[in-house]
Amino acid sequence: MVRYLLGRIIGLIIVLFIVSVLAFLLMHSIPGGPFDETKNPLPPAAKANILKKYGLDKPIYEQYINYMGNALHGDFGISFQSPTETVIDLIARTWPVSIQLGLLAIIVAFTTGLAAGIIAAIKQNTWIDYIVTFISTLGITVPNFVIALWLLLIFSIQLGWVPTGGWPTEGGEWTSAILPVITLALGPSALVARYTRSSMVEVIRSEYIRTARAKGLSARVVILRHTLKNALIPMITILAPQIPNLITGTIFVEVIYRIPGLGKFFVSSIYLRDYPMIMATMLLVAALWSITYLLSDILYTVVDPRVRLS
Amino acid sequence: MSTATDTPVKAPAAAAEPEVSNLWRDAYRRFRKNKLAVGAFIVLVFLILVAIFADVISPARYDYSNLIDANQFPNSQHWLGTDNVGRDFLSRIIYGARISLVVGFSVQIIALLIGVPLGIAAGMFGGWVDYIIMRGVEVLTAIPIWLFALFIITVWQSGETNQSNGLLNVILAIGLVGWVDICRLTRAQILTLREKEYVLAANAIGAKPIHIAIHHLLPNALAPLIVAVTLGIPSAIFTEAGLSFLGFGINDPLPSWGKMVADSSSYIRVYWHLGLFPTICIAITMLTFSFVGDGLRDALDPNLKT
Amino acid sequence: MSQDSKKGLSRRKFVVLTGGALVASGILAACGDATPTTAPATTAASSATTAAATTAAASATTAAASATTAAATTAAAGATTAAASATTAAAGAAGVLPADAAPADQQVYVNHFDSTADATCLDFYESVYKRGGFADMQSDSLVRLDKNFKTQPGAALKWAVDSSGLVWTFNLDPNLMWSDDTPVTADDYVATFQYGADPKHAWDFTWYFGGVIKNWNEAVAGKVPLDQLGVKAVDAHTLQFTTESPAPYLPPMLLYSTPLQKKALTATGSGLYNADPKTTVSSGPFILKEWTKGNRIVLEANPKYKGTNKPLFQKLVAIAAAPSSDFASYQANEIDFVGGAVLSPADNALIAQDPTLKNQVHPQPGDFRTDYLFFDTKKPPFDNLKVRQAFSHVVDRDAIIKSIITPSQGIPAYSFLMPGFPASNSKALAPIQNYDVAAAKSLLSEAGYPDGKGFPKLTLWLRNEAPVRVALAQAIAASIKQNLGIDVDVSNKESKTFTDAMNAKPTQIQFGMVNYGMDFLDPYNMLSVWLSGGRHNWNNTTYDDAVKKAASFTGDPAQRVQMFQDAEKILVSDVGGIFIYHRYVSDLYKPYMKGSELEPDQNGVAALHWPGYAGFSQSVSSVYMSKDASSAGRKLPK
Repeated sequence: MVRYLLGRIIGLIIVLFIVSVLAFLLMHSIPGGPFDETKNPLPPAAKANILKKYGLDKPIYEQYINYMGNALHGDFGISFQSPTETVIDLIARTWPVSIQLGLLAIIVAFTTGLAAGIIAAIKQNTWIDYIVTFISTLGITVPNFVIALWLLLIFSIQLGWVPTGGWPTEGGEWTSAILPVITLALGPSALVARYTRSSMVEVIRSEYIRTARAKGLSARVVILRHTLKNALIPMITILAPQIPNLITGTIFVEVIYRIPGLGKFFVSSIYLRDYPMIMATMLLVAALWSITYLLSDILYTVVDPRVRLS
Repeated sequence: MSTATDTPVKAPAAAAEPEVSNLWRDAYRRFRKNKLAVGAFIVLVFLILVAIFADVISPARYDYSNLIDANQFPNSQHWLGTDNVGRDFLSRIIYGARISLVVGFSVQIIALLIGVPLGIAAGMFGGWVDYIIMRGVEVLTAIPIWLFALFIITVWQSGETNQSNGLLNVILAIGLVGWVDICRLTRAQILTLREKEYVLAANAIGAKPIHIAIHHLLPNALAPLIVAVTLGIPSAIFTEAGLSFLGFGINDPLPSWGKMVADSSSYIRVYWHLGLFPTICIAITMLTFSFVGDGLRDALDPNLKT
Repeated sequence: MSQDSKKGLSRRKFVVLTGGALVASGILAACGDATPTTAPATTAASSATTAAATTAAASATTAAASATTAAATTAAAGATTAAASATTAAAGAAGVLPADAAPADQQVYVNHFDSTADATCLDFYESVYKRGGFADMQSDSLVRLDKNFKTQPGAALKWAVDSSGLVWTFNLDPNLMWSDDTPVTADDYVATFQYGADPKHAWDFTWYFGGVIKNWNEAVAGKVPLDQLGVKAVDAHTLQFTTESPAPYLPPMLLYSTPLQKKALTATGSGLYNADPKTTVSSGPFILKEWTKGNRIVLEANPKYKGTNKPLFQKLVAIAAAPSSDFASYQANEIDFVGGAVLSPADNALIAQDPTLKNQVHPQPGDFRTDYLFFDTKKPPFDNLKVRQAFSHVVDRDAIIKSIITPSQGIPAYSFLMPGFPASNSKALAPIQNYDVAAAKSLLSEAGYPDGKGFPKLTLWLRNEAPVRVALAQAIAASIKQNLGIDVDVSNKESKTFTDAMNAKPTQIQFGMVNYGMDFLDPYNMLSVWLSGGRHNWNNTTYDDAVKKAASFTGDPAQRVQMFQDAEKILVSDVGGIFIYHRYVSDLYKPYMKGSELEPDQNGVAALHWPGYAGFSQSVSSVYMSKDASSAGRKLPK
């Protein structure tokens, strides 16, 4: 186990290294740079100066070595789009908000999704099942900018129950959290429901459950003890990534509901060629994902002891 | 769990081997009995035919614009209304089927072709193979698709005005990063299944790993894969829409459902039809896929063979 | 986006998809650049860049001259003061709430500012494109604009140019004080201009004074020290500008001259001290009280303000928001103003159907922005004038305005300068690029491509445009296809990719659509974008000479206008670009907002004009909340 973990941690470092190299190469190879003003370009002398100031005049490999050298000392540079703060400050300011939103959405999504999926599986091929399938299809196929827009129209503009935006910990009303959490939870909730139902149906039909039933165990005990447990493997695989996905911020929901989270920076840093932020966000995502995968691999062994880590 | 291990599990696939044809015949028979799946299959065939014969059946060209007719709600002349450029919306939906289905299907096919073998390899062999494949997956997960996409444009176009409509680029970009989930899912299934009795038994009688994988593991890993593919189709359709906004997707005026939904965002408060109809199309595609998928799984499920 | 939150991949898919949706809602438009358009979303001031004046513009710049015809000496002298006495009408009542005003605690103006990219400063000279909220309120610019776009005294009480037309003297208001109780002096202005030209600063608006203020370009290039710049302090309250060549348009250009404090600038090395309530120093009508990053900016009336733009509002709250959400917040009574540029076609349709909202619409010409098609005229097929002419005749502007843009948001364009802008000549130029399919067809066959045969397939590049202009481009593409038989794809490019390709020499864009809005109210500002070696690969030396000559012409203003009109005619006839529409900005603000600056101007336009509620404008001392605000169900922020 210790050896396995050690191997995975080394793997994490390798992944981060490869990601950093790839990110660096990709972002420098796409057209446009951080200081290309669109209305009228900077005069060459001024541009040369600002490139020098940020070390962008040096060869790529040298820039990379400098970056990594600083990064290893915890210095991830200054964001080009928000030069009044370091990348670390910027992430420390915005990420907690995204984490709060993400965690709330995860709780809502998993509870509602699991419940809906279990009910649909038990009541397979009844109208309840079809309704769950229908709603989860909607949850997956209706883009959430549409959902966000209609929720906003109904509950903020027509009914006036909740504000159009803001976030409780950032000076907003507590009610400002309701719409974004629902919007964000709907998709994952539908996914959870789909996978739960699918795996449960599979397991319910399998022979050992039939055997268990034949042995006279009541349906509820069978379902809770065996079925759910066996349905967990594909769910962990599919749903674990929802967690880093949700807690790294989701640009659209954050933007439309005015939540000052990290989400928009995943897009704006690329659009604005904000190199230090591109690197930081990519490394953050890589690290989060590697850790999530590691945890889900460990979870497999907990859920199903026959699975061994090797 | 104890129940599972205590119950003697038949090795149905192995048993069925001498008479493979029967397996498929049985599967076909079972599938035909499933009314929902058959119905969905018919709808799916219909959608594919619509996509293929778009030129023949659509009332107008997808790019024929008459500005005077812009933003009409559904009416007798334009059954689904017109869009913001005065184009017949039904025609655009019909042509949109072509792009969306091609993108949805081919991305999933690429994902399956890369993801399933790698997932099986990772799950079956474990050790270094698994380690390397999974680290690759983690690297790919971290790179945002549009950074990747922007990179491909630069390489592809190399300064020349791109005269293609960009379909191939889109499929490649989405497909080449889209296999990671299929890969992880396959691997996870293999990890649990390979400890099952019939696999252990097959192992004991000296079957080759590839043989075991194809004949024993894959059929049993099918259920979650089918769900993943089903969900992957709308996902790919929408990703294509997102890429269009980078100027990397399919150029206008060629329509795709995902792009139509995304374009509708600033219109739907009034012109609801612009968002509603393409969303319905994507939902129908996904629903038919899940029903056909469920039916296929049930039909092929060795455990149900009675 | 639920559909792609699916699997591990979802992060990326998510980003892509939402990115798409965002662009769709015009959010990212501001991200890269097209910022000018989003200007009104915030206060006009925070807008990216641009513009100044208008209609009366013709008067403001040049006409300022005619006012002082008395100076019969040299014509140049004409451009002098004029304004000095004319103004201050508004300033007279400044700071005293009218009888119908709401109580002081309700004199709060709440607005959104674009959160797409994080704002970092409040000062023009720190960064034009990174200003947030109510910017440029913490010091007075040398001149201000009134609602008729006349240049009015600001921090400078009067100004004059010498007989050479090169040396301008501005006399500063000696009453102005910084909030740390030190006087505002000419040195502050000199330090600010030097900061703008400092190559170490690499200011994002450096180009603005290039070729105008003496030694500006040389200083930016590091060839001469900053103290050689043509901006000097003669004494504590006298500021002197020297220009490279006669620049009668200098006073309106100096709208953008809100100074930083020399002391603070020297001590901290940048203008960012003004973005922190702890270190900010204000000599303007407002002072920064709170800046919660990514969230909101709050300014309060500066109790120590001694200038002529004393505000009636006691507090300004700017909330960071995506422009696409502005209208919803406006409808929910959370904000008092929403800029016309951020309204979607559906929003406009809703407003048109709603009698209450309809009355809150205030159309105005904004920054005189024109959308146009451009070509690489150095390569076939667009090196052929007949081809360009053929294309110019298939754009059905009237139908485009009616069906796509909506008439409240734009008017057809057949030339570059919008009606109301100085030297605009739209009526006379309209027939040159008119909608005439028959002419287009015969021109194309004369060019050797009958019915489009042999014509290469084209891709029309757009710069991260809002959906409404993507639709417009598609309508044009369809018209080209249906009338000329030429296939045109439309590709809406990400902003940096587009800009990089457009600015490349030679340009990599064969056929594109883009827009331009003014920075200051002189034809030179708009027309200079078409000079050879500039933005577009269209060269015409006759045009170059005409524009340059007119720009520095100090004689009869009417003759100068004529010179510009001749130049524009060359541009339109030689089809440097195909002009599609001039943007109108139909802002909405709540009916309880009152003030003399909101009353109809001399053209009958009643709106919060360019430059909006900004320190560059006299609206600051005029606009207030009337008693109706108390009962309007406003939700004032804590």
